[in-house]
Amino acid sequence: MVDLVQYAVGGLAAGTLYGLVALGIVLLYRSSRVLNFAHGDLGALAAFVAFTFLVRLEWPFLPAVASSLVAAAALGVAFYFFVLRPAREATLLGRIVVTLGLALAVNGAITLVWGADTKVFPFPLSDVRVYRIGSVVVSQMSLGLTAVGLLLMALLYLLVQRTKIGLAMRAVSQDLVAAQALGIPSRRIFALTWGLAGALGAAAGILTAPVTLLTPFMMLDPFIKGFAAAVLGGMDSMPGAVVGGWVLGLAESLFAGFVSFKFKTTFAFLIIILTLMLRPEGLLGREYHRRV
Amino acid sequence: MRRVRPLGMVLLLVGLLIPAMLGEAQERGITPTEIVIGSTVPLSGPVSYWGSGVGGGIDAYLKWINEQGGVHGRRFRVVLRDDSYFPPRAVLNARELVEREGVFAIVGMIGTANTFAARDYIIESKALWITPTSNDIWAGFRNRKYLFVTWPSYLHEGRILTQYAAEKLSTKKIAVFYQNDEYGLGLLRGVKYGVGTAKGVKFVGQASYEVTDADVSAQAVKLRASGADTVFLAATPTAGALIVREMAKLGFRPTLLATFTLGDPIMFRLAGEAWNDVYSTAYFPLPGTGDAKVDQMLATLIRINPALRGSPYNALAGVTFIEPLVEAFRRAGRDVTKEKVVAALETLRNWDGEVSRSVTFGPERHQGLNRLRVVKASNGQYVNITDWITYPTQY
Repeated sequence: MVDLVQYAVGGLAAGTLYGLVALGIVLLYRSSRVLNFAHGDLGALAAFVAFTFLVRLEWPFLPAVASSLVAAAALGVAFYFFVLRPAREATLLGRIVVTLGLALAVNGAITLVWGADTKVFPFPLSDVRVYRIGSVVVSQMSLGLTAVGLLLMALLYLLVQRTKIGLAMRAVSQDLVAAQALGIPSRRIFALTWGLAGALGAAAGILTAPVTLLTPFMMLDPFIKGFAAAVLGGMDSMPGAVVGGWVLGLAESLFAGFVSFKFKTTFAFLIIILTLMLRPEGLLGREYHRRV
Repeated sequence: MRRVRPLGMVLLLVGLLIPAMLGEAQERGITPTEIVIGSTVPLSGPVSYWGSGVGGGIDAYLKWINEQGGVHGRRFRVVLRDDSYFPPRAVLNARELVEREGVFAIVGMIGTANTFAARDYIIESKALWITPTSNDIWAGFRNRKYLFVTWPSYLHEGRILTQYAAEKLSTKKIAVFYQNDEYGLGLLRGVKYGVGTAKGVKFVGQASYEVTDADVSAQAVKLRASGADTVFLAATPTAGALIVREMAKLGFRPTLLATFTLGDPIMFRLAGEAWNDVYSTAYFPLPGTGDAKVDQMLATLIRINPALRGSPYNALAGVTFIEPLVEAFRRAGRDVTKEKVVAALETLRNWDGEVSRSVTFGPERHQGLNRLRVVKASNGQYVNITDWITYPTQY
């Protein structure tokens, strides 16, 4: 029983990270229908930028992290204005391939600038100091990262659902022409969405780095799992992304612990296939209707 | 017309003979001024840390040789290809190195799975292949004339460390954390072999991970649940550090044994305090353990490529891949051919290089290394705790 709960704790912590990655993917997909394959690498880049501020320039933690979030948001906006918007006549698939190119370029740049060796990302919370609830152990860092992840998810939800900017983002995503006719500055809204997604990716990267250690490829697994979580939860549902992350994290961890480590990812993806067969729009996605 | 026909015949004959004569006179990858060496290592992907260190070490060592004028007037040029630790890319790179780049020899190739995938092609191409990073897959493999290996046996490493733990560290129950590929499985087999030959030790569990896994918390719980008092790590540096941290988080602090590929001092930074008291092995004198030649070589490598400061062990391992070949070139003389280099390699007996120690090859022996020593991590430094332990050669 203790092991079951411990597996669940580990799975939920991993699932929170998957959910955070999934949120950024969903945010962009909802507004532009573009699947951003560079999302994970932008997160890794932001973590390396924060690492430089923290270790080389010896900035305090909060300014360093805030600056890297801003830098990632700026990169997201710049990518929209200088690459995606000029390529707006390209097919959707073409634009997705452009993000794949960005992913490769960002990853190559990270390796070139910071090298391929693994680094320890300094974090104010300890990975060794733990809290015990009975025999179940949670580290201070896991607890803190999960709390920050949940806080970011809640803030994003409030932004999108409860503010005028969020309303504009939803309007643009639902009917671009109607939104433009109503005077919503769609270009700025798209740019804002890319910026927000960039910052979300950065947050995911910075929260992942202390756990997985800092390497140019640290976001490879979280991105794939985050993408799967987004599909599982529903590509247009932000709560779905979070729930998808947790389901995936839990399924992986429990299956690994009690059945097989070798097939844990296979099992998690089997769940996704089954879910999509029964509910093609994902766990919390809306059913897609088309008027004829 | 009558004059033209014999002239044409002569020209045709000369045209056919010239390439054949050149082929006789000059080996692939060797010109009067240059020797071209190729290698495929992971320069990107989850184990790029290994590839950049080893590849950088090979490159820096050959630059150092070139600084001294090369060997018999020829300088070395290295063609490095990135395989991302991905077997199909390793095979493609090997083909490219042999067929397009025309290298004289392939040096290294990181990853047992990559080596396994590329071995048939490289063996059939008859390219000289020095030290792919796998050992046990060659036992019983034929046509190894151009293959020379100075990489330790994972099977025997697993056995030696397990036996040592049983005899000296009071290990009773051992579990293994391993990478789910031929590399990790080889070490897992070694530990089981050790359990079978040592007295009083029991194999109680195993937990695998995939090389791309970012989360190994479930593996830590599984290892704790196994009741092991000793855990063997057959992993990449990142995964090794992650599992040690996760186990420490659970308050699970078994005796730790680690494969020699985790020998880089970076482990003290990645795993922190938890890396102290880890037992591992070494196949060459580790930097800082009192061997002046190795320390001097490391300083030279870092002078040539300062980035190698971040992975000193891997850089030195890269030197062990290449230096027997450089010595063979010295012995083969100015008029070098592949056959002469092979013959020269086969004359190495207990040969010590700048980093390599006790390399022995022969016409019937292409496994150049058959000894390891146990080392212990202590206060950010490795300390030798046994003398060299030999194991039987297999090929």
